[in-house]
Amino acid sequence: MRDRAAVAGIGMTALTRSSGRTELELAVEASRAACADAGVEPGEVDAVLSYHLNDSAPVVQVAAALRIEPLGWHNDITGGGTQAASILGDAAMLVASGLARTVLVYRALNGRSGTRMNTVSTGPQERFTRPYGMAGPIPMFALAAQRYLHETGLTEEHLHAVVAQSRENAAANPRALRRDPLSLEDYLARPYVCSPLRTVDCCQETDGACALVVRDARLAPGAPRIHAVVRGGGPGCSSMDRSPDVTQIFSGHLAPLLWERSGMKPGDVDVALLYDAYSWLVPRQLEDFGLAARAELGEFLLRRRHAAVNPHGGLLSEGYVHGLNNVAQAVRELRGDRETALVTGFGGSYGSAAILTRGR
Amino acid sequence: MASDTLTYWDACRRGELLVQRCTACARRVHLPAPECPRCGGADLVYEPVSGHGAVHTFTVVHRSFVPEFRGREPYVLAWIDLPEGVRAFGQVVGCPPERVRIGMPVRVTFADDLPQWRPA
Ligand SMILES: [Zn+2]
Repeated sequence: MRDRAAVAGIGMTALTRSSGRTELELAVEASRAACADAGVEPGEVDAVLSYHLNDSAPVVQVAAALRIEPLGWHNDITGGGTQAASILGDAAMLVASGLARTVLVYRALNGRSGTRMNTVSTGPQERFTRPYGMAGPIPMFALAAQRYLHETGLTEEHLHAVVAQSRENAAANPRALRRDPLSLEDYLARPYVCSPLRTVDCCQETDGACALVVRDARLAPGAPRIHAVVRGGGPGCSSMDRSPDVTQIFSGHLAPLLWERSGMKPGDVDVALLYDAYSWLVPRQLEDFGLAARAELGEFLLRRRHAAVNPHGGLLSEGYVHGLNNVAQAVRELRGDRETALVTGFGGSYGSAAILTRGR
Repeated sequence: MASDTLTYWDACRRGELLVQRCTACARRVHLPAPECPRCGGADLVYEPVSGHGAVHTFTVVHRSFVPEFRGREPYVLAWIDLPEGVRAFGQVVGCPPERVRIGMPVRVTFADDLPQWRPA
């Protein structure tokens, strides 16, 4: 499916903490914006995909509201951040197989005012961990983060560098929920949620929607191409009871496969849209994807050599549309002066990654 | 493949920490599971362990997402490496949260019918 599909349009609603609107309304607004951006009528869409955790509007409702009739291939995919990059693969497969020519992809949620992610189930081990006062993703990924800092020698100063850079990058982004500078002193004064993660080390819970129009590349020759997409995972922070390395996340499993499938190397990436639901995921992915070596991570972060990561502020500062807003940013970057973008989707030690390339 | 967790919880109420052993490959298995994750063996027997361990990783919870634990923060959640070759979960109790470190030796103790860990 390499380069057979392109992202022809992107659309987003405003990102807020209280949309006052249904997920359906948000999805429809973002979808119309993406269609307009792609220069297609909603009626030209012949497939619709979304991912969610029963916290959104199902695809048939969105398709009906957009008067996509008759509706072709459509699917509600269960999942959160893990899907952020691979839904591009699902769309590209529909295009490459000839099942669709124009695929609408969206994620819509009231992630702050409606169903919040912070108590979502983390798996069957919960019956052994919840009785101790553990629930939701934050303590789980805090346990992994603590060990990661221990093994790498990174400290709160380095986590600050990640968050502060994210805020700096968001400063010029009018969509971003957080745009103010964050000094080290300010950072250290923020309360912990679960150590070593402070409130500001966690992404912005957000109401909003993001949509993409993926088309047969022949119909959108100048649009950024879906070059390679990988999805998978294995042992790691999703199974801390039996994983040798609890700091392992999806990227450790997927990076070799991504380079193999894409025919590229880390040095080819000139902008990285890393799934930054937690600050420590940035150095973890920089390392896994070969963008920085472990021994130099500390200096790399303190010297802000990660300034080109998430130039819009990412999930830490722009907002959390479950990663699809990072995909939208990859498209903006490739419409500008960037050639090759890496975009990732995190779901613990499972997830996805994609390489997008500039249109021709 | 129904998992027999009753035996595990019953032992906890007696103040005893049990860990499964796979009779096919002799590996220890924990958290309790219906099948050995290594060899797939379904004949797992519970055996007591020494109760010693070391903190593999921990987090100090300052804001709980479990309603009945709200107001009890801060408390420490940890994965504990056991010399038997498995990892156990629990709170680290009996010392101020800021004293907890990775690698810290701990020993099992029981509170609320659950295995917990205190500095050894
Ligand atoms: Zn076995």
